[in-house]
Amino acid sequence: MTLYLPIAEMSVSVIVFLALGMSVGFLSGLFGVGGGFLLMPLLTFLGVPSAVAVATSASHVVASSVSGAITHYRRGNVDIRMGLVMLTGGLTGTYLGVSAVKILRRLGYFDFTVALMYVVFLGVVGTIIFVEGINASRQVRSAGAAGARKSGQHGWMEGLPFKMRFPRSKLYMSAVPPVIIGMFIGCLSAIMGIGGGFVIIPAMIYLLRMPTGLVIGTSLFQIVFVAALATVLHAVENKTVDVVLAFILIVGGVIGAQFGTMVGEKLRGEHLRALLGAVILLVAARMAYELVVPPADLFSLAAVAGAS
Amino acid sequence: MRQLLAALVVMLGLADSAMADAPKEGVEADASTRQVAITSSFTGTEILVFGAVTNSVQPSPEAGTYDVIVLVEGIPAPVVVRHKSRVGGIWINTQSMRFASVPSYYAIASTRPIDEIADKAVLDAQGIGFDHVRMVRAAQSRTDATDPAELQTFKEALIRLKERERVYVKSDFGVAFIGSSLFRATIALPPNVPVGPLTAHVYLFKGGQMLGEYSNRVMLQREGVERYIHRTAMTQPLLYGIVTVLLAASSGLAAAFAFRKNG
Repeated sequence: MTLYLPIAEMSVSVIVFLALGMSVGFLSGLFGVGGGFLLMPLLTFLGVPSAVAVATSASHVVASSVSGAITHYRRGNVDIRMGLVMLTGGLTGTYLGVSAVKILRRLGYFDFTVALMYVVFLGVVGTIIFVEGINASRQVRSAGAAGARKSGQHGWMEGLPFKMRFPRSKLYMSAVPPVIIGMFIGCLSAIMGIGGGFVIIPAMIYLLRMPTGLVIGTSLFQIVFVAALATVLHAVENKTVDVVLAFILIVGGVIGAQFGTMVGEKLRGEHLRALLGAVILLVAARMAYELVVPPADLFSLAAVAGAS
Repeated sequence: MRQLLAALVVMLGLADSAMADAPKEGVEADASTRQVAITSSFTGTEILVFGAVTNSVQPSPEAGTYDVIVLVEGIPAPVVVRHKSRVGGIWINTQSMRFASVPSYYAIASTRPIDEIADKAVLDAQGIGFDHVRMVRAAQSRTDATDPAELQTFKEALIRLKERERVYVKSDFGVAFIGSSLFRATIALPPNVPVGPLTAHVYLFKGGQMLGEYSNRVMLQREGVERYIHRTAMTQPLLYGIVTVLLAASSGLAAAFAFRKNG
């Protein structure tokens, strides 16, 4: 069964894209990640123009993170105040990111920038997660709480202005770092079509030193809004959101995620992390390959944006 | 003998004047469909262009007295051709050439290869064939060189890429005569055909001279849901974006709810 996509302007097999959504959903359920970083490269691999892939991935991120965000909110695992502060930066960053996409597309550097960012961020994060997962599974139960966190200690951040109290996280700190982190993630999210959980979670734990229990809920809370804004802005600025494609992927994704979660519960955490690290590195390697290997055709065509 | 010769001369003269009196040949043509709808099940289609040579003197379909070129063209649009080169081990677009107007779709079928049918000058004048169609280079291009060889390289790349996308199609023997005057050609519209009105041209040639031309519009437009979605995305992007987000959010919630009940 084939379906003509109104924005991507191509005829695609529904089964293939449903299966793609399911596999990405399975992995995202398995690892507890949004899966945007897998979806975007796979879509381009199947011939979807990269700008459409990025914008449509953003809407997929909304679907895959909204239920998690609500569940965490109900359980009281969201620091709303911190989430809102990060969002002020996040929404600004998203706007900057979408504008950057517009400019990069006009200059012909969009594909290159996206590939490079994937290689850099996925490479670094994948290595960290992979190494950490391997180490953790080696030293079986060496220490329960490895990093004994002392709340309120931020070292160099002490000197920053605009100090705020975050009662839920038991923090008293400057609003500048969360705003900047939010802005950075928003920008990444808009350009790469990802939620950015794999960058935001480490940043919240190691830079903001938030309690681990609140990190996932709060990051999901802010990802939902950032991804929602990214979708709307991509639709307005770049006209690259394909609602039909998004719907197929979401249907596949939510089903796949349920199975992923079931399987994930049976696996050990550190094994999961090593596996996740490996998958991330694989995607990074695939993108790096594309950048380094001589392309089949040195020439490429692009429609002039805003012409039609 | 003289009489015979005289009779022959008279006959030839008669034949000659009969030729002169014979109405000039022309061409009439049409497309099998004037309206191609792009719906959600669109996977490409074919249009049949057919026509007849008026006042044909062709004795049989195989005689090859006439040559016919059928051309189906999409609306011209600007396009950028980019060239990658290696910078520090990484392949990146370094040069680009912008064409102000090239056909978005261009299918050509003929009774034999077009350069056998007519001279370059004629083909250039009519814009028949990939190499002869007008492709205007725009002012703002990121190339250092302005020499014609460079332009030619980019133009060739443009044609090659368009051919690979199957939106530039050439069929050297795609037009067939069925009778002494009737001819037909099928033109394939691929699933990725650029949406917009098409123009079908039919050119009639004899001995390298163009005898007639016939043009026709074929509408190619989105219909049904497809049309509605595309129009909303283009004219009310904010609404479209918000609806997409709401759809995504509600699907996510619905799935979480449904699976919680089951599990």
